[in-house]
Amino acid sequence: MGAVTSMDEENLVRRIADGDRGAFDELYRRTSPWLAVRLRRRCADVEIVAEVMQETYLAVWRAAAAFAGASVGGSAVGWVWTIAARRLVDALRRRAREAQLPLAALPALAAPAAEDEVLDAVLGDAMGTALRRLSPDLRQVLQAMVLDGLTVRETAVLLGVPEGTVKTRARRARIALREALS
Amino acid sequence: MKIATLIRLRRRIRPATSDHVTAAVLERYATGGAGIRADALWAVEAHLEWCASCRERLGEAVARRSPETMSLLALVQAKLATEVARSPRMRVRRLPRRVSRWTPPGLWPRLAMTLLVLAAAVGLDLADNSRLLPSLVLLVAPVAPLLGVAGVWSAGIDPAHELVVASPRAGLYMVLRRTLAVLVVVIPTLAVAGWLAGASPARWLLPCLAFTGGALALGELIGLRWAAGALALAWTAGVITPSVLAARTPLLLEPASLPYWAGLIAVIAVALVLRRDAYTGLRSETWFVR
Repeated sequence: MGAVTSMDEENLVRRIADGDRGAFDELYRRTSPWLAVRLRRRCADVEIVAEVMQETYLAVWRAAAAFAGASVGGSAVGWVWTIAARRLVDALRRRAREAQLPLAALPALAAPAAEDEVLDAVLGDAMGTALRRLSPDLRQVLQAMVLDGLTVRETAVLLGVPEGTVKTRARRARIALREALS
Repeated sequence: MKIATLIRLRRRIRPATSDHVTAAVLERYATGGAGIRADALWAVEAHLEWCASCRERLGEAVARRSPETMSLLALVQAKLATEVARSPRMRVRRLPRRVSRWTPPGLWPRLAMTLLVLAAAVGLDLADNSRLLPSLVLLVAPVAPLLGVAGVWSAGIDPAHELVVASPRAGLYMVLRRTLAVLVVVIPTLAVAGWLAGASPARWLLPCLAFTGGALALGELIGLRWAAGALALAWTAGVITPSVLAARTPLLLEPASLPYWAGLIAVIAVALVLRRDAYTGLRSETWFVR
């Protein structure tokens, strides 16, 4: 038994598939702060975030054997996020059914800050500029669909707008990006 | 948004994530505060998904700056500890990868049914001490693989059929491969059943292969499921029933007719190869059920 602390996440998931509690705790230690922060930036309600995280890690524990990622070049962390994003959408859907309050808090709008110049090189220049110029509405849709890997329907639930709006915005964002990148 | 566009966008994000996130940005990200420019935020999130060391640093930033998140994490961990201890675990050791790559979907129930039919035939043969009837194993043997073969290439049985058809390996090669997986189980079983019931493989092996190949060839015209069903029905109505009623072994299964079966197999093989493209496209319906 190798030390779980020196394993990468893919190996951890494989060990979890064999029922290794130590590997599970290590995966939780490593990924939970990241997941919590990322979820909280998408949903302001701490209760929902806690619920989603619990469900996500429970799913990881139960279904680790189904993770085929490592053999097809997928990342375990990406897999965890995929589960979490779906669970978040499910939770929002449930809440929307139970109560009228739409809880999908919009991510805080970006106010440019001086320190960000460090990051200028991070995204390709054209891409960065194009993203920055997009209106927040369009950017949110793009973020949910591209970065978080959600479908149109899930995006609609997450952002609390109709599906048709999501489609229109995605289309407008795509056109805007294409213009900016060409 | 088109999937291709999404993939292109994702590709654009990934190579640009080599630079690590600065401590200041990481702290601001951890506290959920505003003040990270949209494109930078995007880059940070994409980067964190790929970079273990930045995730580690994010964890430290959270511990330093965001007690609220820390208490959330502790709460979730405490709940998980009890849930994990009593939650059932998924067992997905279905089949070894090598085996599942060869077998068509939904094969096991079909094989089980086939084995059951053969077992029944053996039982009847053994019960029939005075040899009043021709050997049922012998009569059933030619069509025995058809139940399995019918499931080899069928949209109705395989939910992923469209994907399979679109895969580079789709076509006659994959059909034959899956058929082989069926035969590998059915033929040895038939051999054992035939041995028990006194039906020599020499008498049923060629008819059996002819029917299997025939179903595949006919399947190129009308769909494999229909083809297998039609052949099995024809054999049952045309040979098994009369033989049982007349209580004699049909001429078709006498050793004398083996050369004809061999010739038939050759014809079938040619037909199968000539029309092999039929297995690379989607078949919406058969020509007679539109």
